[in-house]
Amino acid sequence: MLKRFIGTVGLILAGATLAQAAEMHAVVRDHKGLLVADAVVLAVPVDPRSALHARPPKDAVDQVDKQFVPYVKAIFVGSTVRFPNSDNIRHQVYSFSPAKKFELPLYSGTDAPPIVFDKPGVVVLGCNIHDWMIGYIYVSETPFFAKTGPLGTAVISDMPAGEYRVRIWHPSMDHAEETTGQQVTLTADAPASAEWQIRLKPNIRVPRVSGAASPAYP
Amino acid sequence: MATLHNLDMRCPSLWNFCKATRASLPVLLIICAVSHTARSDWTVATAGALSHDDNVSNARTYNDKVSDFSASATVSLSQSIPIGESYSLAAGGALSGQIYDSLTGLRNGSIDGLLSLKKKWGLGAFATWTRAGISLGRSDYQDGYRDATLYAASLELGKRIDERWNLWAKYAYERRAATAGAVEYLGVSSDAFSLRGRSFTANAEYTLSERFSINLGSLLRHGDIVSTAQTAAAGYYLSLNAKAVAPDPTFGPGAYAYRLDGTTYGARLGAEYSLTAHSLIGCGFQRVETHAQGGNNYTDSMPELTWNYRF
Repeated sequence: MLKRFIGTVGLILAGATLAQAAEMHAVVRDHKGLLVADAVVLAVPVDPRSALHARPPKDAVDQVDKQFVPYVKAIFVGSTVRFPNSDNIRHQVYSFSPAKKFELPLYSGTDAPPIVFDKPGVVVLGCNIHDWMIGYIYVSETPFFAKTGPLGTAVISDMPAGEYRVRIWHPSMDHAEETTGQQVTLTADAPASAEWQIRLKPNIRVPRVSGAASPAYP
Repeated sequence: MATLHNLDMRCPSLWNFCKATRASLPVLLIICAVSHTARSDWTVATAGALSHDDNVSNARTYNDKVSDFSASATVSLSQSIPIGESYSLAAGGALSGQIYDSLTGLRNGSIDGLLSLKKKWGLGAFATWTRAGISLGRSDYQDGYRDATLYAASLELGKRIDERWNLWAKYAYERRAATAGAVEYLGVSSDAFSLRGRSFTANAEYTLSERFSINLGSLLRHGDIVSTAQTAAAGYYLSLNAKAVAPDPTFGPGAYAYRLDGTTYGARLGAEYSLTAHSLIGCGFQRVETHAQGGNNYTDSMPELTWNYRF
């Protein structure tokens, strides 16, 4: 009885806080001052009850012109992700990442079963047929996240007002994401803002075309 | 390549090109039929190169060496058909052409068809792979006595160590079947342009930055080589060990081509810059040294500029 009462009060409090929805604007730059796309901005509420209402949504990562689209996808832990194949050829998607190991045998169209990402962390995607294909799924432990666009900005909205620990992640970031943490206070009155300047390492990838891939001598 | 006298490089008069097309049409039809049966991955690629060869004639003596510039272009169409989880069958064809600045008789065109089976020994970009392939082609030259049908079989082994390092090696057997002209010397074959050889190449590619990579290749080849001499003294020396002798007017009215046994050692260093995800430009330098029968040794240096586009 007491448990139910406490739970009800918690939900009411969470609902009341949500009613005072707040917003956060983020800007990410690299060490040269250039705006950085595909950075995941994560806001972890200091009071975990703020995230009680969150439900993992359904998401998708497509394959277009032998590339994963989007290149970086941020999802909430527990989300189900489909991997539709918009190319007119077959792909074989896999991941060796500790956060989620899986393999989708050769398929085309929308034949592949969805995958549930039940552990927070970074999942690196690849295709066993097209070695240059690489994509990232960031499985967030918080429902409050967003990804920066081409202008290096991201907006996280519909957040309960309160204290947050905010950090970022990027596939080419040259330091641990924990080092990017900032304390941010959100109020319903005005959006908060946060900025980061990160060091990016060269994005070395398996090349799609290589002259040397043909033997040097016929 | 120089060891084969650039005989497998190509681009021709229209008539010669038509002959080549007719000869290889059945191969392309088979490729198209195979491709139609499966949901497969088509790849269209184009490549071009400008190069200089300081010893096109593969000559030992300074007086017989002929250097020239050449430009070549290739369009290839291939497709990969995944078979199960670890095998893929690739079938393709290529049209290519080559023009020389001075040695117009070496202008050639060719058409090739190839079939290969690749196995990946694991999952992912860093799995070891092996590939067995066969190819059939036809080359036609402006000076028609060089025309030939080309056969090759190869075995390859490769592994990408990480995003930066890529290693692979290839063993190949090649045969070039040309038509022999009239016998010039009694008791000596005139089939100087029919060659057989086995080669082993080892290659490494290293990615320096997001767009820039370097590659290093090495070659060991044993088999027939063709050396052309214009001077009587060099010709006599070559003829003592030649398996076949034939006139080679491409290099001058008194020039003769000699087929010899030889072993070639080579190295190539190249650098490439990615213009886009689909295209790259590069430059390279290739040096080969051939030790042929009877001490008929020669060297060859070939700097080149390359361009590749893959759709």
